This record gives sequence, C-alpha cells and structure tokens, in this order.
Amino acid sequence: MKVALLSESPADEAVLRVLVDAILGEPAKITPAGFRARGWPNVLQVLPAVIRHLHFNTDVDTLVVTCDSDDSPVHTEAHEAPQYYHPHCRMCQLRAVFRQTSKRFPTAHGRLKIRRVVGVAVPALEAWLLCGRDSDVSEAAWINGQQAGRLPYTRAELKFRIYQTERPSLPHEIECALRETERHRSDLRRLEYDFPGFAALMKDLKSPAQT
Amino acid sequence: MHSVNVIDTVVFHNFKALRNTSLHLSLFNLVIGPNGSGKTSLIQALQQLRTLSQFPLGNDMIHTRSGGPEISFTFSAPYSAVVAQLGCASDLACDFMRVESRDAAAWLKVKSRLATLRSYVLDHNAMAQSSAPVDSTALASNGSNLAAVLAARRRDAPEAFARLEAELLRLLPEFTGIVLDEESDQRVRFSLGIDGAGEPVRAENLSQGVFYLLGLLVLSFDPKPPAVVCIEEIDRGIHPRMLREVRDVLYRLSYPASFGEKREPVQVIATTHSPYMLDQFRDHPDEIVITQKIGHEARFERLSDRADLPELLRDGTLGDMWFSGVLGGVPEER
Repeated sequence: MKVALLSESPADEAVLRVLVDAILGEPAKITPAGFRARGWPNVLQVLPAVIRHLHFNTDVDTLVVTCDSDDSPVHTEAHEAPQYYHPHCRMCQLRAVFRQTSKRFPTAHGRLKIRRVVGVAVPALEAWLLCGRDSDVSEAAWINGQQAGRLPYTRAELKFRIYQTERPSLPHEIECALRETERHRSDLRRLEYDFPGFAALMKDLKSPAQT
Repeated sequence: MHSVNVIDTVVFHNFKALRNTSLHLSLFNLVIGPNGSGKTSLIQALQQLRTLSQFPLGNDMIHTRSGGPEISFTFSAPYSAVVAQLGCASDLACDFMRVESRDAAAWLKVKSRLATLRSYVLDHNAMAQSSAPVDSTALASNGSNLAAVLAARRRDAPEAFARLEAELLRLLPEFTGIVLDEESDQRVRFSLGIDGAGEPVRAENLSQGVFYLLGLLVLSFDPKPPAVVCIEEIDRGIHPRMLREVRDVLYRLSYPASFGEKREPVQVIATTHSPYMLDQFRDHPDEIVITQKIGHEARFERLSDRADLPELLRDGTLGDMWFSGVLGGVPEER
C-alpha cells in the first residue's frame, strides 16, 4: 500500500504515520512529504486538487485525510444511512469531496480511484492522544456535552493536558503527541471504541482497493 | 499584582494617521493592517519613548502646546501609576516628555526597562556584511552587526550560542554549523557549513530567508534580551510552511517558561502582511491587533473583541477572513 497523508499540521502528520502503521500491522509506504491544509475549511478547498494530483501524477493508492471536528456536528451512525448527507458534518463533507472528485476519473496507474481514508478527531486530535489516559475524554462525552449545551472540555484544555502549556513549540508538540500515540500502537481497541471518528479511519484503511 | 508586560497602553492624538486612538498592549502583539495604517507609527512611538525616557525629565511644555501630536503611555503593574506623555513638534520629532508619577523610584525602574527596548527592520544585505567585533552588544536595528553578535555570543554565552545553533540546524537541516572567521582587518564574517560539501556557504551567498530566520533566532536565544522588542515583517523571506516555526521563535521571547527558559518574558510587538502568518494565531486572537484605516485616520482594534469570531472561523481560516475584508484591516479601494 502506498499512502499519502493530508493533515493540518506536522504534529498531526507524525501521529498519523504511527497510527497508519499500527492499523496495517506493518510499515506502510508513506510518501515522505505530507500534504498540508491550513485548518478547516482549507482541508475541503485543497482536497480535490490533492486527489486529482495523486490519481493522475503518482502511483499512490491511498489518501489518508484527518481533521478536527472543532464545534461542528459529530458524525453519527445516522449519517451512515444510504444517501444521507449532513451538510455540516465534516466526515460527510470530506467523503462527499472524495466521491464527487473521483466520480468520472479514468483508470490511471492501474487503479480506478484512490482509496479514501477519512478520520475526524472529536473535537481535536489531542482527544485521541488523551484516550485511555483521561477517562473523561471520549467522543460520546463530547456529543453528550453538545446536546446538553455544556461542553465537557475545550480544545484549549485538551491541548494543555497534553503539552502542559498553551503555546507548545512544534518539536515539543510532536514529542508529546508521539509519546501518547505510542500507548495506542500495540492496542488500538480503546481508541477505536471511544472515538468512532478514528474507527471510521481504521475501517477505510482496511477496505479493499478499487482496481 | 506584578505584570510581565512593560507598556500597558498607548494613547495617540494627532500622531500621523493615528489621530485619536488607543491600544492596550499584551505581552505578545501581532499587528496587521494595510500600508500606512499606523503599524510602523506604533513602533516609532515606542522608539521615541525609549529615546526621551533616557534624558532628564523636562518641564510641562507639553501642556502649553495645542494641536501638536501627543502620545501617552501607561505601564503595567506594579508601575501602573506612572504615565509618560510625549509632545511632538512634528510627526517625525517628539521632543518633550512629561512623567506623572508620585513614585520617583517607579519611574526609574520603568526607565531602566525602556532603555533596553529594541526595534528591528532586518535587512539581508546589511546582515551579510562583515562587522567590527566591538559592535556586538545587541543586534543592530537592521541586523548589520549579525556576525559580530554571533561571535560575541559564542565567546560570552557559549551555551546560549549552542542552543541557537542547534535550533538553526533543526530548522534548516541542510546546514551543519555556524562558522565564524576573523579577517585580516579584524572584522568578523560568518558562513554556514553545508551538508555534504567542502566549503561553508559564505554569508553573501545565503538566501534572504536564512538571514531573517537567523536574526530572529539571535533575538530569541539572547540570554539577556531587551524588555520590549519590536519587529517588522516577521514573515519576510520565509516559506509559508515554516511560519509556525517563526511564531514559535517569537513565542520563546514572550513565553520563556513554555520553552524551558528561566528568564523574564519579553513584550513583543510584531507586524506582518501575511495571511498565512495570521493563521498561526487562530488559538490566540487576543494577540492580534488590526489597524483600521478610513480616509486619513487609523485606529486599532483587538481581534478578540470580535464577538462573531467563532462563527467567522467556521467559514474560513483567519488569514482568509482577513484577506476577504471581513476582519477589516485591508487597503481602501476607490
């Protein structure tokens, strides 16, 4: 499997590299320079061009895209219904971009389309990093908080719990993120269970390629 | 309560385009706005404060004037009772200062901190030049004594120099080290060792961005930095993907504890015209100052005062919102 990554920061990309290997159970061939978006909704803006570039100009077969949900509606089981599309759910939006962009692609480099792998961290990647360490942090806790109008934590609080500062340097951010990701490497089940936005990424990555 | 800021507020009256506006300064301030909207004027005002604060206090002539530019400064706790007022003969020359304070010792302490204030408009051509070793106490405003400052730092603060060098090599991994040479005329010249090549790259052959990054690192890793640092165009010459690193280099000045540094924080006033740079401050809108210019008059606004900011960020990045004009701080079109 030849994998490309599209993420919002070098720290996110470092985490993704570890998680992709852990999901596949072996080191993937991940392109050295990841694609980068400047936060949401820039991910949506650059994604079609990245998909087209990978399809026609490279032999990459898989594109992994992740973003934070921030305070957008969380993707739920109801969104998985056939033909369902939630206009503000980032998972639905990213999947739609994949679908629409590659709808009429001709076969190139031996594959019909790039394998779509989408993950949405609720509300931010730091929640994935805290999974298993901080029992208060889970996708369900966030959804319950959204419904109750009282969020259990803020994105800034999650970041502080990981980095111990509101302004981590990039190397410190990457170091802390990788340290936490190491906990997940050998056993992804807790992350998969507590964060359906990650489970979706796992499922996509394990799906067969469309040739 | 003791504040880490030095300058708390600046109030402008008829100073260039800043006809009637004020600004509360935070510890870190990134000022954005169109050309001619008062970003540089703000920094010039701070320079005038530094200069005049070092002279013996004058009389009350400022109050006998009328209509001339005036700038007032207040300072952060524990010096919040000190007010310094500058009177200017013109937009270019402030020549009077009056200090209101019941506590003379407080003013002396403020004055000693203001004496260290530095402002920078780095110039890569000047930075490439060799420099005299005596000219090395602080980086010159255009960075022209960069080589001498590096040599002095290596000699006087080898640990700080080593950390600066390590950070440079992390950011620009194609280089292997800073090489300093004293020439026959005793001037100091620097070059950067390069991976896999014999000869180091001489300063005059380095790219602009390398100079600007090196200049920022020299400031950021200064073991005894100024209390206040003003830097114009912090993104200049730097690849957009490196701007997060530039932000971190500057944050090191203002938030040393976050970077494992044990020294006083530095109050930073920086300017940029880059939407990509602005994107780096999405989580800290309280650090963004937008200059709004209408006609010939400009005023300051804090981005965090925008009540609708969370909604705006759902529709685009901070940089996109600035470019679009939604945040203001864009050139007028006629």
